[in-house]
Amino acid sequence: MEGLVIALFLCLFLALVTKYLSVPAIPFYILAGVLLGKAGLGLVQADDISQFFSQMGLIFLLFFMGLGLKPERIAANKAAVLTSGIIDLNVNMIIGFFAAYLLGFTITESLVVASAFYISSTAMAITSLVENRKLMLRESETIIWLMVFEDLVLIIFLAIISAGDQNLVFFAFKILAVLGILYALALYGKEFLISILDRDDELPILFTFAAVLTVESFALVLQIPDTMMVIALGVAFATTDPDAFEQHARPFKDVFLVVFFVFFGVSIDLSGGANLFSISIICILAVLSKLISGLITGIVIHDSAMSGLEIWANTIARGEFSIALAVLYGSPVVGTTIAAMVIVTSIIGSFAAKYSTLMRRGITSIGRRKTPTHRGHLGR
Amino acid sequence: MSAMALRSLNLPGVGTKYEFETDKGDTVAIFFTKTGTIQMYTLQKGCHTPSAAEMTPVEARRLGNILTGAIIEADQESVEIAFSALADLRVTIHTFYVPKGIAGKTIEDLQIRAKTGATVIAVCRQDKNIINPPPAFVFETGDAALVIGESDQIIKFEREIMVE
Repeated sequence: MEGLVIALFLCLFLALVTKYLSVPAIPFYILAGVLLGKAGLGLVQADDISQFFSQMGLIFLLFFMGLGLKPERIAANKAAVLTSGIIDLNVNMIIGFFAAYLLGFTITESLVVASAFYISSTAMAITSLVENRKLMLRESETIIWLMVFEDLVLIIFLAIISAGDQNLVFFAFKILAVLGILYALALYGKEFLISILDRDDELPILFTFAAVLTVESFALVLQIPDTMMVIALGVAFATTDPDAFEQHARPFKDVFLVVFFVFFGVSIDLSGGANLFSISIICILAVLSKLISGLITGIVIHDSAMSGLEIWANTIARGEFSIALAVLYGSPVVGTTIAAMVIVTSIIGSFAAKYSTLMRRGITSIGRRKTPTHRGHLGR
Repeated sequence: MSAMALRSLNLPGVGTKYEFETDKGDTVAIFFTKTGTIQMYTLQKGCHTPSAAEMTPVEARRLGNILTGAIIEADQESVEIAFSALADLRVTIHTFYVPKGIAGKTIEDLQIRAKTGATVIAVCRQDKNIINPPPAFVFETGDAALVIGESDQIIKFEREIMVE
């Protein structure tokens, strides 16, 4: 318990500093955990309480993700969302998987590393678009939909990997049945749900917390992944009043997720055989492969490599979902690798996003100097 | 196609976007973000880099008031409400800071209704609001008076009452 308090205070301080400097907080929470935990000073150990809090952090992160997914919205932009999403998925999954495999990870480990390598941080991408005032850029819509696509892939990945050796048909049936029930509840109970959410006493927040926990424990009883079910609950609730649910779930998510990040850092054990060489390779490739996928997307969707550079700058950062994958399925070595990748990419990403306009201007002016006759075409 | 085609769009995780192109080809985009701030971007025709301003909801409302043409002086603001169903009835509400000249006088003394046709509907005094002040109400310096009327009446109020 004391450990948790120490960790929380350190995070409070870090939150203040990172907000002031407007850099992402997640890498610093993890670093704080590393510093306090096994790999560092050994001041803080995970216990039942911190484990429960971390679990809640993960669950509320996924519930939130579900609330933001509105399948009918995607249908409207299908072509562009699909194209950019598939480019991003293929380039990064393939590079991530082969890099991990060639560096000596097993096939399963390589899959986990590749998924964590593929999935950018939605939170950091969106924060960077808002804070760097880039919302009006045409690339920003592409980036936002890319994040939605990645979330969908994550759901499919969670389903596949957690099916394990269960009978696949029965497993799919169970998931579909629960999904159907949740949807029906949200559909027929819509008015009741909204009447609860509209109250201004403690009921809405109590209901949100209880609903998420109930669904999670039901999932454990039914032996289907609780992660999937919490996302499904979010998607089902999103058909009623997603903004109200977001508002009531936010306090839980905000607090528990910080615990989740810091205790992920605490759990990192450098003696587990992680080697600096393979970590560095993964980190460098993580930055480069998003450059490749960004450039291809920019050229295909916006007909411009400069747009690709902008997409790259805002999607370098890996974050919450990569860590979630590491916590759920990673061995200690995988965990350490992913932790390092998140820290490196999120810091590089935050700078790239901040200075991308300068970068684009710089490249354009170099291009102009080299080929003065093409002046008119190089503007963007 | 009308030049002022307003496009609105829900961006998952970000908020709502409104965008329109002006007659002259400039683009204005407004984003209501989930964090509660409002970002306004303007992109001049032929330019590639938009410029942006981030506002709190209060600031955005002030900007809105300025854009509707309702504000006469910078530190005072007013709102014009148009009821298009009622033969385009337009009512303006304007705030005025009470100058030294009229401190100590009552609403009756100043003959506000008779001289201007406008009505003082509220007075804000040191964070307290006095709604519907009686004719015997005495103004003090620092009071902010909320005056309602047609825009002509408000202009009259500003010229005839606020200078005394």
